[in-house]
Amino acid sequence: MKNRNILFFIISLCSLSLQSVAQSEPYEMTIEGVKVIVHPSHNQLISVVTVIKGGVQNYPAEKQGIEGLAIRALTECGTVNDDKNSFKDKLDKVSGQVYGNSMMDYATFRLNCVLTDFDIVWPLYSDALTSPKFDQKEFLRIRQDAVNMIRDSESDPQNAIDKYAKKVAFRGKNYAKDPDGTEAIVAKLTVDETKKYYKSVLNRGKLLIVVVGDIDRNLLQENIAAMLKKIPAGPAFNNKKEAYAPAKATFSSTKKDLATNYIQGITGAPLPGTADYNAYQLAMNIFSNKHFLDVRSKNGLSYAPGAWFAGGSTSTTNIIVSTTEPDKYKKVFDTLVSKLKKDGFTAEEVKNEKAGYVTSVYYRQETNDAQANSLVNNEVQFGNWKRSITIKEEINKVTLEQVNAVFKKYMGNITWVYMGNPAKVNPALYAPTSKPLPKSTVTPAKKN
Amino acid sequence: MHNKQSTMYKLIYSIFLLATISGFSQPRLPENYYWQKMDNGLEVVVIENNKVPLATIEIAVKNGAYTEGPEFSGLSHLFEHMFFKANNDYPDQEKFIRRTEELGMIFNGTTGEEKVNYYFTFNNDSLEAGLKFMNSAMRFPIYRKEDMEKENPVVDGEFQRAESNPQFLLYFEVQKKTWGDLFTRKNPIGDHVIINTATPEKMMIIKDKYYYPNNSILVICGDVKHEAAFQLANKIFGSWKHSGFDPHQKYPIPEFKPLTKSDYFVTVSSIAATPYMMYQWEGPDYRNDSAATVAADVFSTLVGLNSSKWQQALIDKGLATYAIFQYQVLKYVGPVYAFIAPNPDKIKECHEEIMKQVAEFSKPGYFTAGQIEDAKGILLRNQIRNTEKPSSIPNQMTNYWASTSLDYYTDLTKNYQNVTEADIRRYIDKYLNNKPFVAGIIINEEMNKKYKPEAYFKQK
Repeated sequence: MKNRNILFFIISLCSLSLQSVAQSEPYEMTIEGVKVIVHPSHNQLISVVTVIKGGVQNYPAEKQGIEGLAIRALTECGTVNDDKNSFKDKLDKVSGQVYGNSMMDYATFRLNCVLTDFDIVWPLYSDALTSPKFDQKEFLRIRQDAVNMIRDSESDPQNAIDKYAKKVAFRGKNYAKDPDGTEAIVAKLTVDETKKYYKSVLNRGKLLIVVVGDIDRNLLQENIAAMLKKIPAGPAFNNKKEAYAPAKATFSSTKKDLATNYIQGITGAPLPGTADYNAYQLAMNIFSNKHFLDVRSKNGLSYAPGAWFAGGSTSTTNIIVSTTEPDKYKKVFDTLVSKLKKDGFTAEEVKNEKAGYVTSVYYRQETNDAQANSLVNNEVQFGNWKRSITIKEEINKVTLEQVNAVFKKYMGNITWVYMGNPAKVNPALYAPTSKPLPKSTVTPAKKN
Repeated sequence: MHNKQSTMYKLIYSIFLLATISGFSQPRLPENYYWQKMDNGLEVVVIENNKVPLATIEIAVKNGAYTEGPEFSGLSHLFEHMFFKANNDYPDQEKFIRRTEELGMIFNGTTGEEKVNYYFTFNNDSLEAGLKFMNSAMRFPIYRKEDMEKENPVVDGEFQRAESNPQFLLYFEVQKKTWGDLFTRKNPIGDHVIINTATPEKMMIIKDKYYYPNNSILVICGDVKHEAAFQLANKIFGSWKHSGFDPHQKYPIPEFKPLTKSDYFVTVSSIAATPYMMYQWEGPDYRNDSAATVAADVFSTLVGLNSSKWQQALIDKGLATYAIFQYQVLKYVGPVYAFIAPNPDKIKECHEEIMKQVAEFSKPGYFTAGQIEDAKGILLRNQIRNTEKPSSIPNQMTNYWASTSLDYYTDLTKNYQNVTEADIRRYIDKYLNNKPFVAGIIINEEMNKKYKPEAYFKQK
């Protein structure tokens, strides 16, 4: 047995047949009607991502969580060739990673392994994606795990407030759905409906494949073609983009016995592909630094004040802070936003942020998985994976005037949510029409 | 003759040259890693990695919780925050942050049990500017009372965020019970009162004790050339004065006492939407049993295999959603711990199964030779994954530098491959089998009433 590891070590050091004819430039190809994007990695690892487009658009609110459970079942409930244990044991032998995620705009099913192990891991990956068994006993186990993980996520205040904010902001809309689902819904999902759901979304019209690794083009093409032949064709997915523009500022709160209070704000932002997009990215990055400086450095109000722009089918501006002084925080926030809307950012700030943005682009390309994420996101959201490479030049074209204009345009009415001690906050500061909350009866968490 | 003399001359000259440059013996290092020790004692490692055109620089200091008695609990951490506040060249935080923006920098710092580190990532053409910026912050900090008054609640806020998380509450309580009187030496986040009453004078005490080149390492990693990077490091950090003493000899760390009996506790907290359980043992440390630290990692990896008895009993049978088993290598007693998210309906069965598993660790047949090889195979591949992201390499390396040695870091993957079944059994027998531990569960009131853990979560 020991020889196996020695052999692996020797093979890894030698030049690899898999990569001997790999291309050095990124390229795309179409296999069985599915776009496949390949980017070289110049390292010993390979990352493959199959994307199922649609995300929360694929299921109704009363079934939220079904896609996440289906994706988890692919690796946890056996395949036509392996039961769950056999599948996982084979992966363990080569430290292969096969797993998936369901997100707002798409689901991913991923492979990551050392290139020399690709021939062992790929058949497992392909089987799981195309021929999952959905074994009933294993399904009941992972359904209970999914319920436990929903509770686990609720225990983390940062996750909990993010979910709460989305529920309040997007009530009745697609983005109000939580890909993890709710305890009540997930606990009742059956194996049959989950299997049926998976079958309904697994069609070539919804797929995209991204590969980051130094692998021979012909070998890759053969493997992917064989896998895709097992998947039915389907109509091209038509992504529905929905802008978020709250008509007024609002404030909602929920009482929780925490050592501090969490506040999150959501408002609209430019949709992918619009002219404002890149300028707003820069504006929010600069704003994030200023927000940090004013809230943390100058006023000592929070450890990790955050502000960011999340582009997607519904783009959002997000602000988050944990603080024991929520009212003081809001005053600092308002002063900063008013000043920026009045005076604008400076040319130097925009110039510096462009440099910082370039660093962050490279920083996100340090690993194959991160590079694959960037390619997936640009292809799904912009229909242009090459933007992942050209973004540095595009960002440099943005002007100061554009940055100032978009900040004024989008930083408007904010949907605020609050989690913690309601007695500490004056809702009227957040939403001028709100009434004060009743006095709290919160007691601190008990520690033995 | 001439040739022989010439060869001898070259050899002697080479030895002399090496002594002049470093004056110290070279540690073993992986390919593309280069090391120098400057005359002031500052170790410098340059790692050439051109995956992306960035450079990451990190300075790590042998400071952290292990240097803190109760009156300083959390102040290494506060010191780390103050690093980013003000210094002679950037006298307030606005100017400090503006400089990070000019350099397009991603930056942060962390404080652990045995290390405090500061790291910047930027475009590789800013290496000199980045090193100068690091030098200003490291050597010429300014501690103003008013700055500290603003920063104390920020650090306290970090603590409050942690306290809002049930996993942290459980972890914190387990640490208190494991380390007893010396708990502060394992608690980087610190104590509320000490943090809120910290003064510039206390910051200077930390600086004067630990912030010296001979207690630090500088790592430069990325799309850089080692000759040029060493030159810059020497030029910029060469005038940093050696302390004239070894801080860890002058201010010795007290020895942690072994646990004498197992200790169980139940914490009821409304913020625990789902229960968590943690079990912790005092494991090996680098100073006293470095071989066991290596065996410990192989055993933890083995326990994580899907085929292991641990995973099959707890995860496959649906008793827990996850059941992590880990060891953390440290210079002063590394913990071995299990962190479990039990299925709430099966807390009792889960706890009993964990106790059964631990009791069986040392029994023949608990693991197979094949599983040991699988674990080693995973650790071999982990090295490829661990070195994939250039900006993360300095932090990984300095963890080992602080708690073990650079040789340990370099040899670790090879040493994993040399671990035998007997090594693993010796580790289990010495640190886990029939050894006292601390066990805690955090649960909300409703589940506590329903599942009554007090009845069975205790010493039998």
